[in-house]
Formats: sequence, C-alpha cells, structure tokens
Amino acid sequence: MGTVARQGARQGRRAIDLTLNIILLIFVTATGIAAVWLRNLLASTMVLGIYSLLMAALWVVLDAVDVAFTEAAVGAGVTTVLMLLAIALTGHKEKRSRTKPWLPLAVSFATAGLLIYATLGMPAFGIADAPAQLHVAPYYLERGQTETGVPNVVTAVLASYRGFDTLGEVTVIFTAGMGVLVLLGGATRRQRRVPAPAEEDSA
Amino acid sequence: MILDILSWISIAIGAFFVLVSGVGVWRMPDLFTRMHPAGLTDSTGAGFLLLGLLLQSDDWLVSVKLVLIFIFLLFTSPVATHALAHAALLDGLKPWVRSRDKARDKDGEP
Amino acid sequence: MSDFLVLKVMAKLLIPFILLFGFYVQMHGDYGPGGGFQAGVIIAAAFILYAIVFDVKTARRAAPMAVLISIACVGVLLYAGVGVANLIYGGRFLEYGVLAHEAAQGNHIGILIVEIGVGMTVAAVMMVIFFSFARRR
Repeated sequence: MGTVARQGARQGRRAIDLTLNIILLIFVTATGIAAVWLRNLLASTMVLGIYSLLMAALWVVLDAVDVAFTEAAVGAGVTTVLMLLAIALTGHKEKRSRTKPWLPLAVSFATAGLLIYATLGMPAFGIADAPAQLHVAPYYLERGQTETGVPNVVTAVLASYRGFDTLGEVTVIFTAGMGVLVLLGGATRRQRRVPAPAEEDSA
Repeated sequence: MILDILSWISIAIGAFFVLVSGVGVWRMPDLFTRMHPAGLTDSTGAGFLLLGLLLQSDDWLVSVKLVLIFIFLLFTSPVATHALAHAALLDGLKPWVRSRDKARDKDGEP
Repeated sequence: MSDFLVLKVMAKLLIPFILLFGFYVQMHGDYGPGGGFQAGVIIAAAFILYAIVFDVKTARRAAPMAVLISIACVGVLLYAGVGVANLIYGGRFLEYGVLAHEAAQGNHIGILIVEIGVGMTVAAVMMVIFFSFARRR
C-alpha cells in the first residue's frame, strides 16, 4: 500500500515537473525570438526582463536556488535599468540593415545542428552514474560542511574549493566597471557644459 | 486533512484569479483598462496563493516570511501600476472612449 | 503637493528595507541562498531606486564617485589580500585553512571575508556604471 502510493506520487510529481519544464521552455523560446524580432528597443528591453524572470523560474525548477536568486536580481532588476539608460543615450529604433543575413543564419543553424548532434553522445541528463556525478560532486557534498564549516554547499564551492575562479570573476566585474568609466568619462569631477543642441545626436 | 483541503481551495481560487487577469489583459482595449486586470495578479492572485501556502507551512518562521512577502507585494504592486499609468498620461496617451472608436465595437452595444 | 508623491513616499518607506535585505543576504550566504553577488546587486538597486525616484544629484552626494571607486578597489584587494595573507601564514595561495587553529574555522573566516569583498565590489561597480550613464544626459 505504501509503495504503490509512493510510486503514484512519484509519477505525479514527474508529470508535473515535465509539464512545468515544457511550458517554461516554450515561453523562454518565445520571449527569446520576440526580443530579437522586435525593432523597438524599449520593447526589446522589457521582453529581455521577462526572459530573465522565466530563466529564474527554470533554475528554481532545476533546484538551483542561488543561481535563480542571482538571475532574478541581476537580469530582471539592474540590467533592465542599465539597458534603458543606454537606450536613452542612443536611440529607440534599430536601424534596418541593408543586406539580408542569409549566410550568418545558415552558419548559426549549422552550428546549432552540430551541437545538438554532439549532445546525443553525452550521458542522459541527471542519471546517477554519469562521470560528472561520480568524481568531485560526491566529494563536495559529503566533505563540504565538515571541511569548510559552511552548510551551504554552493557558497563553499564558490568561495573555497573554487576560490581562484571567483577571484577571476570579481576582477572581471571590476574591469568592466573601470572600462565603463574610461569610455564614458565619469571619473573626473570636471563639470561638463550642457551640450549645445547642434551637438546632440538624434534621439 | 482540513488544512490540506483549505489550502487546495485557496490555491485554486488564486490560480483562477491569475487566469482571469490573463484573459482580462488580452481582452481589454487599451493600456489603462488593461492595468485593472493586471493588478489582480498581484493582489488577489498572490494573496490567495500565499494563503494556501501559509496553511501548509510547518514552521512559524516560514509563515512570518510568507506574510511579510504579501505585505511587501501589497506595498509595491499598486505603486508600480500607478507609476505606469502616470507615465502613460505624461506621455500623452488618452484613455479609450467607446464613442471615439466606432470601428472596434464588435458587440453592437449602445 | 509635489509630483510623483506616491512614488516618493513609497521609495522612502522601502529603501531602508531593501538595504537591510541586502545585508541579510550578504551575511546569510553561509546558511541559505545568498552570498556576495546577490547582496551587491540588491544594495546597488536600493541606491539606483533612490536616484531614479528623486534626483541623481542628491544620490551622487550620498555616494560620490571617488568613494565608489575606492570601495570597488578595496573589495578586489580584500579578496586577493586574503590569498596573500594565507601565503604569509604559511599555506598556499587562497588556502584559508591556515587562518585559524583548525581548518574548518579558518575556512569559515576566509569565506566570510571573501564574500564581503565580492559584495563590496559588485555593489560599487553597479553604482559606478549607473552614475556614469546617468551623468551623460
């Protein structure tokens, strides 16, 4: 009685998981295509915000809560504001390109086809004896808390086991900030005169 | 068991309100009328869903966090709707009036 | 009655809670989802909200550009400094275990300091980018 009920519950849970994944992936694809298709850049930015939110939901369904948190905060929050600021500085509409991009489209499809063909040779997603699950993952899960004293395995891996990579990430973020400063010239205290109307480019 | 049934009913009502809000956004004619159903998701939809989850929680700390989430949603979502409507008015968008839009009257009501 | 009264009152109510939540996420990265990156973005979002609802000049007075650049530099230096401190104490680079008497304690201390460094840099860089863009209008 107990095992039958448990198996029924597991079937139900798998069915709901599958439905959720399919619906979320359909919406992610639709918003991705819409973000590229739209010519009005403001609408495109909003659609990218929705895309980030849906990706955060996908990460939650995959049980990766830290990543979902970061995706929601960065993608649906700060990045949308920064992109709106960039659009306010440049223009609202995307320029029409003169030539039709048939060759790049063909190259993209060929690359995507090759990649999908390559994934057929990988082990099935999430099975227990894939090499990715057998080597370091059990080590981190078993010894993570005792060796680092931190219950959250994600933070332990990020900051301790893979601390050097995180140092590289922080340096990249710092370099991005300095690059923006150099490009836009916000570092100096020099008060720029309000540009004359002739100098302003078309909005 | 009673708690389970109550939370099922609550989550079902919340899902119904979210569905109604979606259908409303699709059917309404312009921005200002669309914001009414869109606001339904954040207030009644989220409220009933959170109530259903509240009845399922074992720990009092989780319940307090759910109530806090609902309070913050109640604070921020109407302000977002107000900001959107204000921005649309400042931009010059006029509300939809039936007499100005005779071509779209499909139902033939007076 | 100024314009945008609703927005201003709500922003004044909410910004302290956003900052508090950012600090909570930073400090509780050990026990739940969180850590430096998320906390940095949330704290930057509080300042950006203030700059959007009120004016950018007052926000720049609260967070001047020189201070922001210094905080970003100090964050990266803190992270690398922990690595160098491990070298001084006799371990390898970024091997936090030598910072205390037992390896787990040292690791915990190292992770805390490193996450604070990450949070500082991310928050400062987000604000620097926002203020650089907002200045050019």
